[in-house]
Amino acid sequence: MARLLYVHTGGVNNPERSATPIYLATTAAAMDIEVGIYFTVNGPTLLRKGVAESLIVPKHDGHGAPLRRFIDQALDLGVKFYVCQPSLDLHGLTHADLIDGVEMIGGAAFNDMALEADRVICF
Amino acid sequence: MAEAIAPDRTLDCKGLLCPMPIVKLSKAVKEMSSGEVVLMEATDPGSVPDVAAWSKQTGNPIVSQDQAGGVMRFWIRKA
Repeated sequence: MARLLYVHTGGVNNPERSATPIYLATTAAAMDIEVGIYFTVNGPTLLRKGVAESLIVPKHDGHGAPLRRFIDQALDLGVKFYVCQPSLDLHGLTHADLIDGVEMIGGAAFNDMALEADRVICF
Repeated sequence: MAEAIAPDRTLDCKGLLCPMPIVKLSKAVKEMSSGEVVLMEATDPGSVPDVAAWSKQTGNPIVSQDQAGGVMRFWIRKA
């Protein structure tokens, strides 16, 4: 099975950058590709409990949808979500502050995943 | 004529944008049995390259496709 790894660095301060890696990973999962998203730098702020429900992914007509919808779609299709401790520390977050379904990894595990993946795509 | 292929089920993706048509197609095909055909209808122009890429990656062949009045139709057989 093909493997893709997305790196998501966008956070709550850039709603227009929040959803694209999640859309793409969802599509990959629908193509039977084994896919994960590593949320780092500001990425973990999107995963804080209660945030994605009110974070609206903007659309030109003002009728955007909440990010939570796209997160749930991704998790439902089997996209794996990963974070690491230093990027949580950056925002004063702990693993317990995050939504369910997010796996904690470290830099070594990330590097190993990157080497095992067919492609790594960074946002 | 494409219409000669009788689908086992129909999937209406008209009005849906990326990634929804592919997500719905994936879910529908997972529920089908090998050899069954789904007729998918979509209006997102990106569906043409997207369904082709999905088919190539998953190995479920597009047995026919056409386009009329802004509606793209794909007959996909579950491998």
